[in-house]
Amino acid sequence: MPEERTDTELLIASRTEPEAFTELYRRHAEDLLRYFARRTLDPETAAELTAETFAEAFASRASYRDQGVNGVAWLYGIARHRLGRFFRNGKVDAAARRKLGMPERDLPPEDYERIEDLIDFAPIREALAEALETLSPDQREAMRLRVIDGLGYAEVAERLACTEQNARQRVSRGLRKIALLLQERGMQLTTEVEA
Amino acid sequence: MNTDIRSLQLLERDLEDVATRERERLVSVDRALDGGHGGPRRLPRRGRGGGHAWGGIAAALVAVLVLAGGIGFLAQGGSSDDSGGGESRAAIDVDSGADGGGAGAGTGGSESGPQATMAPAPAEAPAGDASYLSDEALGNLSESERAAFVGWSLEAGRNAGAPGVAQGVGAVPKQQGDLTKIIRDGRIGIVIADGSFSKGVAGVTQIARRNGGFVLESSSRDERSGALTLRVPAKNFDDTMLALRALSGQLDGEVEFQDITGQDVTAEFIDLQARLDILKDRRELLLDIQADATSTSEILRLAALIDDVQLQIENIQGRLNFLKDQVAEATIKVEVRERDVQREDPGSDPENPSLADSFELAVQGFLRIIGAVVVGLGYLIPLGVIALIGWGVVRLVRRRDRGAN
Repeated sequence: MPEERTDTELLIASRTEPEAFTELYRRHAEDLLRYFARRTLDPETAAELTAETFAEAFASRASYRDQGVNGVAWLYGIARHRLGRFFRNGKVDAAARRKLGMPERDLPPEDYERIEDLIDFAPIREALAEALETLSPDQREAMRLRVIDGLGYAEVAERLACTEQNARQRVSRGLRKIALLLQERGMQLTTEVEA
Repeated sequence: MNTDIRSLQLLERDLEDVATRERERLVSVDRALDGGHGGPRRLPRRGRGGGHAWGGIAAALVAVLVLAGGIGFLAQGGSSDDSGGGESRAAIDVDSGADGGGAGAGTGGSESGPQATMAPAPAEAPAGDASYLSDEALGNLSESERAAFVGWSLEAGRNAGAPGVAQGVGAVPKQQGDLTKIIRDGRIGIVIADGSFSKGVAGVTQIARRNGGFVLESSSRDERSGALTLRVPAKNFDDTMLALRALSGQLDGEVEFQDITGQDVTAEFIDLQARLDILKDRRELLLDIQADATSTSEILRLAALIDDVQLQIENIQGRLNFLKDQVAEATIKVEVRERDVQREDPGSDPENPSLADSFELAVQGFLRIIGAVVVGLGYLIPLGVIALIGWGVVRLVRRRDRGAN
C-alpha cells in the first residue's frame, strides 16, 4: 500500500496533478467549515467562506513554496485573510470562484442545522442574549427559539407562522449580524484553538 | 468524502470539475510544447504561474536596466564624448569637408575639450596672411581647402590671452606672457600619383627641415608607400601641416585624411612646477639643518631625508623636461602612398574602420553602455530603497489597522 502523502506534498503535487488538490480538500473541508462557522455564527457565510478559500487556494497553489510553512498552515492563512475581509466588508467576495468558473451555490436547507451543530454556542450564549436586543423583532424571536431554546427549524417555523426556509433565513441573518457585532466589540467567538 | 454536509459534497464536486478542466489545460499545453507529436505526456516543468513569474521578473529586470542606462546616459551629459580632460581632436574628411568651405567643415563630428578650442574659419578668410602661413603653402591650396584647414586648426597653442580662447584666423600669433602648455600632434595621409613616392618622401623631409624640424623615424614598403614621423617646433605646426597638404597637390595627389589633436598639460605643468619649488626649499632647509648637526646618527638620518627629496626633485624635473619637450615640438605622422597602393592600415582611418577597429569600437561601446547602466543604478538604487521603505511603512500601517478592526 503506497504511503499517504502529506498535505504539503499534496499541495506541491497539485501544480501538475490538479486532482491532488481535491484530496487536500477532503481532508480539511469540514474542519475549515467549522472554523468559519464558529467565527461567523452563520452557516451561509461559513459555507461561502469555505468555498471561496478553497477556490483561492487552488488558483494560487503555484505560488506556494515549501519554506517551513506546511500546506495546512498556508490554507488557514488564506482562511484568516478571507475572514478578515468578511468582518471588514460584511460580505463574502466570490472573485476566486468566478475566476475558476465555479458556481455560487445557495446553502441546501438541510445544511443549516448540520452546520449550526458545528458551532458551540455555549461559551457565547450570554453575549448572544445581549446582542439579540440589536436585532429586528422577527430575527430576534427566530434566534431566541432556535439558539436559546434549542428548537428545531420545523418548530421555529410553526411558532413564527412562517415557512421553514423563512425561519432558517431569519436565524442565519440574525447570527451573521450578531457575529459582526461581537467582532466589532472585540469578543472572541470561539474557544477552539485554531489550526 | 466522509461528511454528511451537502454543501461540502457539492463543493467537492465543483473542485473536481475545476481540477479536470485544469488537467485538460495542462495536457493541451504539453501537446503544444511537444509540437503535436503524441508520445507520453510530460508533466509541466513548473507550476501554472511559474513561467509567467520568471518572465515578469526578467522583463522587470530588463526595464530597470534600460531605465538605468537611460538615466546614466543623461547623467553623463547625454553624449558619448570620450575626449580627455584637456585633449581636443579635429579631423577632416577631406573629400567632403574641404570643398564645403570653412562653414561646412565646422559641422562634421568635432569633439572639443575645455581648454583647446577650434576656431571656425570666416567664410572669406584672408588668404595671404604672411605672418601666419607660408606663401608656398598657401599658394598651393585652393580657397576652399585653405578655409577648411584653418577652420579646423587648433588655435589654443597660439593664443596670447586666456588659455583655450580661440582667435580669428587672421590674428597675429603672440607667445609673450603665454602660460598655456599644449602638446600638439597631427596625422595626415597623402595619396600621390603613381611613381612619385620618392619625390613625396623627399618633399616631406624637406618640409620638416624648412620648418625647423626633422624626420624622427620613417618606414616604406616596396618604395610605393610608407610612413614618416616628423618633429617640428610647435610654432611651425600649422605651417607644416599646410605644406604637407600642398605637397599632395604638387604631386598630383590628394589628402586622404587628417587628424589634429591638442592635449592641454598646463595644469599638470603648473602643479609640477609648484611641487618642484616646494621640494627645492625643503632640500635647502634639510641641508642647513645637516650643516648644524653634531651627532653622526642625526647626520645620517638627515642624509637619507635629503636623498629622498632629491629623488623626488629629479623625478619631477624629468617629467617637466619631457613636457617642455613635447610642448616645444609637435609630432606629425605622415602616411604617403601611391594611388594604386592599398592602405596598409585602413583601420586607422576613422571613416573606414577595419574589422579589428570595429571590434574595438564595439567593445568600447559596450563598456560605455555598462558604465551608463552603473551610473543609472547609482541613481535608482537609493530611490528604490526609499520606495521600499515607504511601501513597508504603508503595509505596516494597514496591518495595524486590520489588527485594530
